[in-house]
Amino acid sequence: MIVYRCEDSLESIFTAIYLAYEEKRNHAETMLSLSDDPILFAEDVPVVSCTDKVLKVIKTLKRRFGEDDYKELCMALASEDMEKAQAVYRTVADGLARNCDRGHLFDNLTNDYVHKAFALARNAGRECAHLQGFVRFQELENRVLYSKIGPKNNMVTFLMPHFADRLPLENFVIYDERRNFFGIHPAGRQWYLLRGEEAGEPSELQVSEEEKAYQELFRQFCRTIAIKERKNLTLQRNMLPLRFQEYMVEFQQKP
Amino acid sequence: MEYLATGNQQSIMDKLTVLTNAAKYDVACTSSGVERKGDGKSIGNCVAAGICHSFASDGRCISLLKILMTNECIYDCKYCQNRCSNDIPRATFSPEEICTLTMEFYRRNYIEGLFLSSGILQSPSFTMEMIFRTIWLLRNKYHFNGYIHVKAIPGAAPELIAQTGFLVDRMSINLELPTAEGLKALAPNKHRKTILTPMRQIQNGIKENKNDIVLYRNAPRFVSGGQSTQMIIGATPETDYQILNVAEGLYKKFDLKRVFYSAFVNVTGDKNLPALPGGPPLLREHRLYQADWLLRFYGFRAEELLDEKHPFFNVLLDPKEDWAVRHLECFPVEINRAPMEQLLRVPGIGVKSAQRIAAARRSAKLTFSDLKKIGVVLKRALFFITCNGRMMYPVKLDEDYIVRNLTEEKERVQFGSDGMTYRQMSLFDDGSFTGEVKPMERLQTAVGQI
Repeated sequence: MIVYRCEDSLESIFTAIYLAYEEKRNHAETMLSLSDDPILFAEDVPVVSCTDKVLKVIKTLKRRFGEDDYKELCMALASEDMEKAQAVYRTVADGLARNCDRGHLFDNLTNDYVHKAFALARNAGRECAHLQGFVRFQELENRVLYSKIGPKNNMVTFLMPHFADRLPLENFVIYDERRNFFGIHPAGRQWYLLRGEEAGEPSELQVSEEEKAYQELFRQFCRTIAIKERKNLTLQRNMLPLRFQEYMVEFQQKP
Repeated sequence: MEYLATGNQQSIMDKLTVLTNAAKYDVACTSSGVERKGDGKSIGNCVAAGICHSFASDGRCISLLKILMTNECIYDCKYCQNRCSNDIPRATFSPEEICTLTMEFYRRNYIEGLFLSSGILQSPSFTMEMIFRTIWLLRNKYHFNGYIHVKAIPGAAPELIAQTGFLVDRMSINLELPTAEGLKALAPNKHRKTILTPMRQIQNGIKENKNDIVLYRNAPRFVSGGQSTQMIIGATPETDYQILNVAEGLYKKFDLKRVFYSAFVNVTGDKNLPALPGGPPLLREHRLYQADWLLRFYGFRAEELLDEKHPFFNVLLDPKEDWAVRHLECFPVEINRAPMEQLLRVPGIGVKSAQRIAAARRSAKLTFSDLKKIGVVLKRALFFITCNGRMMYPVKLDEDYIVRNLTEEKERVQFGSDGMTYRQMSLFDDGSFTGEVKPMERLQTAVGQI
């Protein structure tokens, strides 16, 4: 048994996949692990990310499986599950071995690894779709829009293109509280990501008076739009889980 | 009377409250059907799947800023809280106010766009022109590129509707009540004809526009998200069968994207309206939506689900289960071989699962555990399917038996867990007791032969 020890990043996992193929491993006897837990009778191989190899893997994945399935694989890798590296690796191996058509990577759901990767991608994709709606921006005094989120999966990378397309002329920041991770979009320019350690401590955030007024207007709108004869808080919670509600203005009390 | 001093004295907050309150019974709060990338200069884009931004305490999604332009109205529809004879606070937004609110809400990601409807001010054409002006301002001065849904006002000049259609993503005209008689009784100022004429106009506009776009790639889009309508359920005595037939007709003849059903809430207390002590007919509305999905995505026809003899939906079973137990001759369906149309008719298998089954069975023979992975709801499907010629449990294909197992969730027996296979016998659950007693049987009972 060979175990590639990766970091929790797309680069590291794709490098490991490249290595597994370069060294002609038997896929059934090979594992990608994100943890350091020792495995009995296994040979550990540490993985050092290498940009060239990552780019080659991305190119192959896109060529063989198509753009959509490549995105699904990235979604699966954004999950917080520790088994994701192994699931994605074996899904890719299965797809290449079956010589599957583009867009048909996840057809073979009877395979446990394919199903695992599929489930992870579906879960992350759902959270991404949720957050596209549930992200709330606050306007700070310097007119920068600022949003704080705490998603289960690593979503900032997927949210940034959506909001950059939507608000091209705004300066906005999305801050992932759980991973200490910033997505930054300067008005009219390309967005980028920043790790919290590099950004330094954020100073106390000041929101403008106008911002408070709009928050109150929206709260009032949400209160009024509900039909009291149809009140159904369970349904509301099913559609909008509590873990999102804590970041949303309409569920916060007036300060 | 304070509220007669309208206009400038009212704050935005007051107006928003009044006009949101007036718009809340409109159901069409979807933002789907249009995929439009941002152009880098204006604000906004559209996502085909639509995005829900929040959920109100009644569990309905908040996707658009759903407001009326004004709740003043010259009409006197009996079911509507904005009817002119109703004594409620009135307010009117100016176009600029609507635009600023939309823009500021949109950039904070509160909403996906604007839903603008209105009470009838002066005349239908006047109102439509006001709506057009607002939307024009929003698109051209404020450079808003997000989703806009407006109501076309029945009776407005066709040019106005055509002009507005080029600025918005979706238009809708409320059918209000499923039948012309109902409309006549409750909405004396509205006529079936004035509602259907603009609907037809928009339909033709969309068709023509499709041809234009083929010719000229950059031709302006006309109502690219399609049109929708809504019906009030439970205010008039129509049956589900009638309502479903109307919906089917609308989908077929008017190419509607959606028909919405709105459970009637009695807000005016008019004497011609039914009192609903049990609250609005929510289950009925739910069943209609389920049937609506069956019409649009599952290849069902209205007369398959209901008929003159069964004009209402089953309270206990959803329409698909109901159809399945009445058509047991079509089952069981073999998962590994059945065509797509048959898979779609199995309760517990949706469109996605059916597609996944069709894809997965190319590379392997599917078993019940695979179906679970695929997302089939086995507790409903197991009565109607076989995998490789076998059913999951020994199950009788018997209407009575299946209905009991589909409905009594708590009392359902775990098959095989205690050696019990079929239903347990009891004195009173014999199906033949419910049937009509024949004269012959009555005679036999009398003379002691039974």
